[in-house]
Amino acid sequence: MSTTEMPVEATTTPSLGVHALRDLRARRKKNRLGELEWFEAAYQVYLVALFGGGGLLWLSSLVGDQKLSVVEAADVARNAPALLGLVAVLAVVLGLRSGSQGGPLALEAADVTHVMLSPVDRLQALLRPATQRIRSAVFVGVGLGGALGQLAGRRLPGTSFAWFGSGALFGFTVALLWVGAALVAHAIRLPLVIATVIAVVGFGWQGVALAKGIPGPANLYGSLALWGWRQHPVDVVALVVSLGLLVTGVALLARTSLDALARRSSLVTQLRFAVTMQDLRTVVLLRRQLTHDQTRARPWLRLPTRGRTNVIWRRGWHSLLRLPAGRLIRMVALAVGAGACQVAAYRGTTPAVLGTVVLTFVLGLEVLEPLSQEVDQPDRCDGLPIERGDLMVRHLLAPVVALIPFSAIAATTAALIESSKSNDASGAFAVAGLLAFPTLLAGAAGAAINIVRDAPDPFSGTNQQTFMPPEMAGFSTVLRTLVPLAVSAVGALSVVIVRQAVIHDGPNAAVPTAVRAMTAGLLVVAGVATWVRMRDRMRRSIRAFMSEGHAHTQQQRSSR
Amino acid sequence: MTVALSLRGLTKSFGSGDAQRPALAPLTLQVAQGQRVAIVGHNGSGKTTLLKMAAGLLDPSGGDVLVTGQPGGSPAARAALAYLSDHPTFYDDLSLREHLEYVARLHGVADWADRADQLVAKVGLSDRVDDLPTTFSRGLRQKAAITLAFVRPFQVLLVDEPFVGLDSAGKAALLELFDDTSTRGAALLVATHELTFVNRVDRLIALADGELRYDGAPGETDVNELVFHT
Repeated sequence: MSTTEMPVEATTTPSLGVHALRDLRARRKKNRLGELEWFEAAYQVYLVALFGGGGLLWLSSLVGDQKLSVVEAADVARNAPALLGLVAVLAVVLGLRSGSQGGPLALEAADVTHVMLSPVDRLQALLRPATQRIRSAVFVGVGLGGALGQLAGRRLPGTSFAWFGSGALFGFTVALLWVGAALVAHAIRLPLVIATVIAVVGFGWQGVALAKGIPGPANLYGSLALWGWRQHPVDVVALVVSLGLLVTGVALLARTSLDALARRSSLVTQLRFAVTMQDLRTVVLLRRQLTHDQTRARPWLRLPTRGRTNVIWRRGWHSLLRLPAGRLIRMVALAVGAGACQVAAYRGTTPAVLGTVVLTFVLGLEVLEPLSQEVDQPDRCDGLPIERGDLMVRHLLAPVVALIPFSAIAATTAALIESSKSNDASGAFAVAGLLAFPTLLAGAAGAAINIVRDAPDPFSGTNQQTFMPPEMAGFSTVLRTLVPLAVSAVGALSVVIVRQAVIHDGPNAAVPTAVRAMTAGLLVVAGVATWVRMRDRMRRSIRAFMSEGHAHTQQQRSSR
Repeated sequence: MTVALSLRGLTKSFGSGDAQRPALAPLTLQVAQGQRVAIVGHNGSGKTTLLKMAAGLLDPSGGDVLVTGQPGGSPAARAALAYLSDHPTFYDDLSLREHLEYVARLHGVADWADRADQLVAKVGLSDRVDDLPTTFSRGLRQKAAITLAFVRPFQVLLVDEPFVGLDSAGKAALLELFDDTSTRGAALLVATHELTFVNRVDRLIALADGELRYDGAPGETDVNELVFHT
């Protein structure tokens, strides 16, 4: 075969393709606006305003209005830049990790096939998705930064308006930093391991800066947030760095990997839908897929091939022993975080309980992987000659045992932090030891409800949902989200009960109260296990009862 | 003979460290203008990986792709190469006609309408052209994807499992389109398990476990042996 290359025929005019792209995007936007349910959109805005405003008012009431003393204000001025710098480091780390895993852009699957494989200039084609990504990040950053800045302004010197502005500026700068870091990391194909090294170094350095008062890599970012109080012109460097990173990232857009775009396209669409539906478990599952979080091909330990152990218990361990290292590290971090939040709640910061609830709930979702797998394969599950409730409740056993080491980690974390601040180390270890397992167990119980309720319900098919009035459907969705979290909160609140007992009856009340709180938590967990086992039977009974009543009514009508 | 597609040491591995799994061993081959090539191999042999890398949808672990002498992924290469995936994707807010217009115009084809009508008639979708392809059955989606691949100009056509889900009329229409493709000088690479198609090609490439097992004329080997027993 001759190696003469075929000349490229000028079959296309790239500018024509760009015009087509613009035309069609404009037409699709018009179509979407035409199909928009304005009432539904207004309802969404109403919900966001209601919950967002309510949350802000609640935070506002926690902050209080009293101005800080001169000494306290000086303490803030000294430590806030390094502390807030940690937020900037977090933004860089998240951006780098996102970029190295194929983020931050996500296109429709059809765009990847039809637009990205066409000769249209890729920078032009990707400019709009990139702008949308930047806009949404900036919106969140400015909104959150402005709101928190305004709250800070109520206790620190300076006007609320100035604090709102500096908070918004900080949020803006951090948002640009995140998107810029992600775009650049993607374009240069930054290996994930390098992103992890940068994360360790960045957090380490900034952490030392906070502890020792030395300059940290992101102090200028933190200092920018204090402009509502005092202005250091050098802080503008942070803004320039963020803008520079973003411009570099946008300039490198043409280097975006189609491989990553193709992989992320369908996952991100599903993720957005799951977020809209407040489907926490699906969000976690899709996040795992987006980050290539795959189970190990070979388990950490091989179970003996012979033996007469229960097959469901054995299947559970087959699953748990395949959890990848990254996921195990994340689970350890969740346990450490839960322990730290419980100490914060014990020392008076009651809202920290919310942190414990979320962390133990997510830890529960992680550890209940065998149950999730069973629920996600309904055909397989329903084909087994065993009552589904019995099967599911037995799937809880291996995860409950797997929670024990994580409880030990959470208890040790809490006890170490608390004993470093008080003189009663043994008391701290005793209370933490008693409360850790039930707290994590309650978190997992909430997660179990979240998982089990996703199982197909043969007794109330989709018709029931379809004919539900919209206002009830919305309420039902919120309720479905909140009930699992409320169950998870039962364990987390035990530390507040112990705190109140100590305040009223002295330190000696801590351990007896912890035992009572632990018992209450375990009772709730037992209730959840019973619900998992009996759910189908209860629904079957209710359905039979309703059918019987319906038939009876029909009979009465026909006899009239 | 002029080269339409050139793969030089193209290789792909998935995973990293101990879990690294080779999907395609370094592969070098050239496909001439007008040549019809069938790629066969058992499931997981690397056919789709090869086509996706050639199309630019999958980043290779090594090696490179030249399409009509231009680096793979460059605008000129994208203008010259069409890829018909085994999982067609569509916009959920565009009808088939609007898809055809969009794809054709993205490729700089201004007078697309007649060509689109002919293609749609050929695959038997004339009465569905104003419907949303996302609502089509598996076979109709495949037919819609075929019209999108052929509505634009190309010099290399990569096709992955095109016969799956197609009825006999659809298969016949597709084979006619393949004939037209090679007649007008474009190179055609089709990954398939359809052994009847293998008899219609000039060249057969067999892959097994990511490695090239055969590259030659189809009549000189036992295809069944290659596909099912390699």
